Amino acid sequence: FFFSFDAEKYLLVSLASMSANERIKAIQKLPETMAKKREIRNKVLNEIAKNSRRHGAQPSCCTQCLQGAAVSFRRFGNTLSEYFQLLWIWQKALKVIGAEFGTSVLSYFVFLKWLLNFNIFSFLINFGFITIPQFLAAEPNNLSFTGLELFTGAGYFQETVLYYGFYTNATISKIENGPSYNMQLAYIFTVGIYFVICFLILLVSMVKSFCRNFLGLQTYSWNASKLLCIWDYNITSEKAVKLKQKNLSTQIKEDLTEVNKEVINFSVMERLLRIAIHLFAWVASLGTAVAACTGVYFLSINNLELFTKGHRNDLESQAAMLVLPVIASLLNTLIPFFFSWLGHLEKFQTPGQHIYVSITRNVILKMSIVGILCYYWLNIRATSESQCWETLVGQDIYRLVLVDFIFCLLGSFFGEFLRRIIGTIVCVRLGLPEFDIGRNVLDLIYAQTLTWIGILFSPLLPGIQMIAFFIVFFVKKVSLLRNCQPPRKGWKTAQMTTSFMLLLFCPSLLGVLSVIGVTVWRLKPSEGCGPFRGLSSMYAAVSEWVQILENYTASEWVVWIYHNLITSQLFFLILSSIVLIVIYLYWQIIQGRKTMTKLLHKQISN
Amino acid sequence: MGNKQTVFTQEQLDAYQDCTFFTRKEILRLFYRYRDLAPQLVPLDYTNKPAVTLPYELIGSMPELKDNPFRQRIAEVFSEHGDGDMTLDDFLDMFSVLSEMAPRDLKAYYAFKIYDFNNDDYICKLDLEKTVNKLTRNELTPEEVSLVCEKVIYEADVDNDGKLSLEDFQHMIVRAPDFL
Repeated sequence: FFFSFDAEKYLLVSLASMSANERIKAIQKLPETMAKKREIRNKVLNEIAKNSRRHGAQPSCCTQCLQGAAVSFRRFGNTLSEYFQLLWIWQKALKVIGAEFGTSVLSYFVFLKWLLNFNIFSFLINFGFITIPQFLAAEPNNLSFTGLELFTGAGYFQETVLYYGFYTNATISKIENGPSYNMQLAYIFTVGIYFVICFLILLVSMVKSFCRNFLGLQTYSWNASKLLCIWDYNITSEKAVKLKQKNLSTQIKEDLTEVNKEVINFSVMERLLRIAIHLFAWVASLGTAVAACTGVYFLSINNLELFTKGHRNDLESQAAMLVLPVIASLLNTLIPFFFSWLGHLEKFQTPGQHIYVSITRNVILKMSIVGILCYYWLNIRATSESQCWETLVGQDIYRLVLVDFIFCLLGSFFGEFLRRIIGTIVCVRLGLPEFDIGRNVLDLIYAQTLTWIGILFSPLLPGIQMIAFFIVFFVKKVSLLRNCQPPRKGWKTAQMTTSFMLLLFCPSLLGVLSVIGVTVWRLKPSEGCGPFRGLSSMYAAVSEWVQILENYTASEWVVWIYHNLITSQLFFLILSSIVLIVIYLYWQIIQGRKTMTKLLHKQISN
Repeated sequence: MGNKQTVFTQEQLDAYQDCTFFTRKEILRLFYRYRDLAPQLVPLDYTNKPAVTLPYELIGSMPELKDNPFRQRIAEVFSEHGDGDMTLDDFLDMFSVLSEMAPRDLKAYYAFKIYDFNNDDYICKLDLEKTVNKLTRNELTPEEVSLVCEKVIYEADVDNDGKLSLEDFQHMIVRAPDFL
């Protein structure tokens, strides 16, 4: 018997003293058979009934009614949560993918679904707070609609709510002397609060994921856990199971041969050669990235000349607008193949190093292309003589997002469908392709970075990205199920997921926040369009509003917070010092606990 | 509320909902799957708690389990008498622990029992050898299997008694983020 009599009594008493929810959770977690759990549950419920009878008088009608109501309320809550589960989109698709391909490929789709939530949230608040009020004060659109606008984003779309330039800077009020809606404040606060919420969500998810997956890595017993924890109980297809077993046996054989081999000491010449190859590969990849950036920069300057020559709405100039996005996407697609060829030249000590190095190089490439485009937009476009530079930047970003989406679909077509045809018919030795998780996740992060930058200039861009992600999910799922085979090498899923979140946070979100910061604080909005026309910077709207508030005594606390907390440097200095002190204290606690663990270990083994 | 079903009484459904991680709909769905394995053995009315047991061969032929190399051990661990024949209670219990809503500690506890082939509450070298063979479909030679098992015990055995107890196993699981 698992429980001695005393232990069971203790369990019953502790269960009886918990609240209903906690009690249910605790019973669910008991490692007992169903019959035993039911017995414990009935005993606990009897115990509670006994206690309430002992403490109070006979339960009155009221308390009995209340208890009955509580039970039926809980049943109602359970049924409601069942219906909510229907709303969890794609749950069945995710299960199928996990069953056939395992958790590593599933992590890509889960990441895609998570990014989709950010876009849905942004679209909803932008649409609700910015676009709908704008519809009340809309100006008529005199341009004609030709089909080409879907690709170039210009033309008819220029005078719609899609872009910054269309929004009014007035305070909208439908009724005379009725409540008014200040469009300037709405715009800047909606975008600002969205980014603050994004930042917090991403920070919390990243830290939670890091805690779960990376701490305790010092005492990681590699072989033991590889054996006992590696079995992926999600897999249910026979083919995948056989493949997984074969992989495991290959892995174990490789590990054993490594152990049996003597540790080879490389001669000085060989070591120098390896370092030289590594250096060469890094120089080549960084050089390629710099060359790509220069190419993009000069191409965008040429495009600018095209615009300053005057507005021409004919087909040629519109098609010429698409050259820059196509070149940028081509570079993003083709250069990673060059990087992987370089990776094959070098010999890494572990395959994990190989993966991390290739991901780092790809991230450097993509982020530097985004960086050079931002530099071009903020320094050159913003100070040029064009009419409404924010709308033009928005159009650029729209085209980039669209072309990137098309290239993603094309990549799936060529990379997986054609490769399967080649692998099964033309050259059978190659076999089916594997789903390249790293490359696909980096594509997602790149697309999301572009969307985040574009939110300020084109408030409905997250809606477009939302539709794009929906389509990408279906296309990738179908392509995966038809064309690919499960991955051969083990892929440390949990650590990779944390690294992807870290990549989304560190270069991507922080970069976007700095770009938005520079735009809002330093750049002068254009004179003729948009909600901030005529001001010296977008941020000036907030400072002007605070100045107006100073005249009202009821809102003095807002003014006080603004002057003493948000704009004062002393407050941030104090905040940073407190954060640093807390970090140092926690670090010391961790060090102390580590020494404690070592001592306890020694005690157990003796 | 809503659908009227006649398989279980309301109290039975409440008890099942409190003891497993499933909702009412999922419990009924699992009951119908249990019944589909042997419609002539399983009655449609469980209100008077009939004592129906399905033999292991039927359970092991379910699509979720049929390719799993540990299906026999899983059925034995969750069955009432340890022989693989399962009642409806055992069936629901098994799927509840295998579902994604079960916490890792609970799964670790049952994983330990699954890998403990001789049911002595310790994973000894023999148990590990059987595990390795099941995991790799007998593709390794006996010497390789023996070497791997020795390394595993060396690494994971905290209290140095030559075999893995439940505490050793849980200690290792806590540090392995990939455990599913």
